[in-house]
Amino acid sequence: MNQRSQSLTRPNGTAAAALLSGAIGAFAMGLFALSNEWGIFSAPTLYGPAGGVSGRTTFAVVVWLIVWAVLHRAWRAREMNMSAIFIASLILIALGLLGAFPPVWQLVG
Amino acid sequence: MTLFTERSIWTMIHGIVLGGSALLAFSAALYCMWSVRTADGNDSAARTRCGHLARLMLGLTIIVWAMVLIGTYVNFPPYRATPPEGATDLSAFPRSLLNSNPETAWLHGFAMEIKEHVPWMIAMLMTAVSFVLLRYHSDLVERPRVRRTISAFVTIGFVLTAGVALLGMLINKVAPLA
Repeated sequence: MNQRSQSLTRPNGTAAAALLSGAIGAFAMGLFALSNEWGIFSAPTLYGPAGGVSGRTTFAVVVWLIVWAVLHRAWRAREMNMSAIFIASLILIALGLLGAFPPVWQLVG
Repeated sequence: MTLFTERSIWTMIHGIVLGGSALLAFSAALYCMWSVRTADGNDSAARTRCGHLARLMLGLTIIVWAMVLIGTYVNFPPYRATPPEGATDLSAFPRSLLNSNPETAWLHGFAMEIKEHVPWMIAMLMTAVSFVLLRYHSDLVERPRVRRTISAFVTIGFVLTAGVALLGMLINKVAPLA
């Protein structure tokens, strides 16, 4: 089997897992920023000179990588609905951006 | 008098070298994606361009991660440094300088707060795009729905990077890390 015919039989689950987990990572980043500002959860500072952002960003990256690993394992041999992945990704990215948008922080308190 | 301080050199590496390179690479990637939008599996030129795109996106992702890490761990600490008690010259303490004037306080409370988090989102999204491009390579020509999602991610990344770069330029205009 040549490389091209191999790729045609390769499911899109790997792509779906990578792309959706990227969007979940963006959402997690916004969620950590928002929860910090609203006093719900503050990630610990991991590098003093940079302050709390070092913890928030590291936590978001860890969430992203864990989600990616889990989804990759679950979906790598499956054919996923890319339209649903596309829409879910856009919604997650939009929510993540809202969470990192300072005017939203002021809606509480 | 020193023409460039160490801080200003790092700022230039972060904003001009890496930020400028990222915007150029985004432009090239978007053009490359646009050029294969109507291609089918028999279009060998489009398959070749997808191969180029994979390498381009890998380079872009490395640039974005370098920009994000330098911004957070090299440029941000001196930006947020606390001035000594009673200090009147705040030029070496950009955050305090911005907050000392109600007209410029938004550059910290809005612009820098966005710059702290949004670039990390861009880095994660572009890593996902690079991974998919490297994994599927030229065969993305035959997967229009995956291509559409990738194109959306890269477009979002481009717009966000341009916006964040503009905010950084405004901050650096008023309170440079010198």
